[in-house]
Formats: sequence, C-alpha cells, structure tokens
Amino acid sequence: MAQAESSAATPFETDFWKDAKLRKMWDDIVPGEPRKTLPYKLTQEAIALYCRAVGETNPLYLDEAAAKAGPYGGLIAPPAIHILLMFACTPADDWMRSPGTVNAGQSWSYNIPARPGDTITLQARALDKFIKRERLFVVHDNVFFNQHGDVICSGRGQTIRPM
Amino acid sequence: MTSANFDALKAGDTIDGPAFAVSRESIRLFCDASLDYNPLHLDDDYMKGDFGKTNFGGIIMHGMNNFGLISRMLTDWALPAGAIHRRLETRWLKPVKPGDTIRPAGTIKAKQTTAKSRWVLVDVAVQNQRGETVAAGEAMLEFPASAKAS
Repeated sequence: MAQAESSAATPFETDFWKDAKLRKMWDDIVPGEPRKTLPYKLTQEAIALYCRAVGETNPLYLDEAAAKAGPYGGLIAPPAIHILLMFACTPADDWMRSPGTVNAGQSWSYNIPARPGDTITLQARALDKFIKRERLFVVHDNVFFNQHGDVICSGRGQTIRPM
Repeated sequence: MTSANFDALKAGDTIDGPAFAVSRESIRLFCDASLDYNPLHLDDDYMKGDFGKTNFGGIIMHGMNNFGLISRMLTDWALPAGAIHRRLETRWLKPVKPGDTIRPAGTIKAKQTTAKSRWVLVDVAVQNQRGETVAAGEAMLEFPASAKAS
C-alpha cells in the first residue's frame, strides 16, 4: 500500500480551518464508502500524554517494569486511546475535522489492548446519515487493528454535521 | 464503593469515579492528547456564534473527555480484580465548561453468565458540581471465570 505513515515527518495540522474547504459536507458523504485512513505508530509518549490529560495513573500504562510483571506482560494503552487514534489515523481533509462537528454519542467495544510500538490501522466509513429536528447526522463505523491484523477495538458514533 | 467481585456484586451497587476539574488548560491538554483541535474547544470568538438553536457562549470540553474519565473509573475498578472493560456507550446531555468540576459514577445494573464467560452491566453517568448529569451511558465488564475472587 502506497500510504505514508503519519509521523513526525509531517506535523499534525492543528488549524482545522486550513483544509476546511477540502472536506466533505453532509451532502457529499456517501454511507458505506470507505474513508481514507493512515497507519499510525503509537508511541509511549503519546500514551503518557493521553494519560496525563484524563488523569490515568495505572502503572500498566506508565511503568514499564510494573507492566512487565502484570497480566499483559508489558506496557499497554488505556482502552479509550481510540480517542487519539481516531484523529491520528485520518488525514487532514477528513470530514471529522470539519470545524463545528458535534459529537452526539459513541459506543466502543474492546478486544485487545493497543501497545506502544504498535502500528495501528483504521477501517472507517459513514454507515448512515439522517436528519432529525433540522440537524444533519452521520453514523460512523470504525475498527482499529494492530500490525498483526488483530482487532483492537470497534466503535459506532454519531456526529452532528456543521451546516 | 463496591469491590469488583462477580459473585458478591448485586444490582444497585455503586462505583465511585474521580473528580475532574475542567479548565481552559485541561481542555487544551486534551486537544494535544487527542489531536482533536475542533474550534469548539479552542476558539471563544467562534463559540460566540449560534449552532442551530444552541449558543454555548464560550469553549466547551470535548465530549470524549467524559468518555475517557468513565473509562478510567471502570478500568481502575476492574483491572485489580482481573476483570476487563469490554464496552462503553455514552451520550452527552449538557456541555461542560471551564470552571466546572465533573465526576463519573457507576451503578451495577445486571449480571449475566454466558457459555464462556461472566459479564456485568453498569449504568454510568457524569455529573457536574450542580448535580446536573452531563453524560450518561452503559458499560459492560467481563469477569473471566479465572478472575481473582476479590
């Protein structure tokens, strides 16, 4: 696959307005059509930053020696690391970055933990779109895999699209 | 707080989560940790505008910050007992803003034994300092038959 890994070589664009015109509007989104995704190498630094943001202190995520002696035989990421992976594995023109996108709810199922050093891939699409109380909704369908092809987690979400 | 012991757990038992102080800095840190730089979480000028019939009046916390806190509560409770956080479903009911203090909590709803494992369903909610529920949902934890008894 001729895909560039998202990495330090191409810094993450934090101005979500910059590529706003390249992104699909609700009208353009085709349910069932795969979204373009990028493989992402998960680092211990990224896990530690996520842990700091939500106050996670479990040594399984942060202390290599303790994690090695624990049930997973090494460091793992917290289950909700998909919050980061969702943006890390999608390109700057992905419509989830459209300014004003409002998250309306999520459900995630967890299979095995992601680990530092994993190269994570995402299979994602809009599964459905609908209009409710004059608001434009899209149903997201996402599955994250590790480099062995094992499912890490799968999720369904709804966002309200900017008008 | 109820201990994570499958046999002893019963409907109505509770799980306490950590208090979390929301500030502009905590929201900015969550942007950096999640790579979600949606202007909803960054740009006060943008947030002066209307979103359909809604006006937030200023930046709001990421909904997924609630999700991350609920997940933290569940794993901190379950992992020491050898139980596994298998599912979390949430919806957002009210925006959370800088200056708010939020806290997740869980209530055991049901237990189920299947052909190969044991499961606990937990109602989860996040409340702010005014006792308003800002997020609610349901979680599923697996207690493998080999999980420790306490």
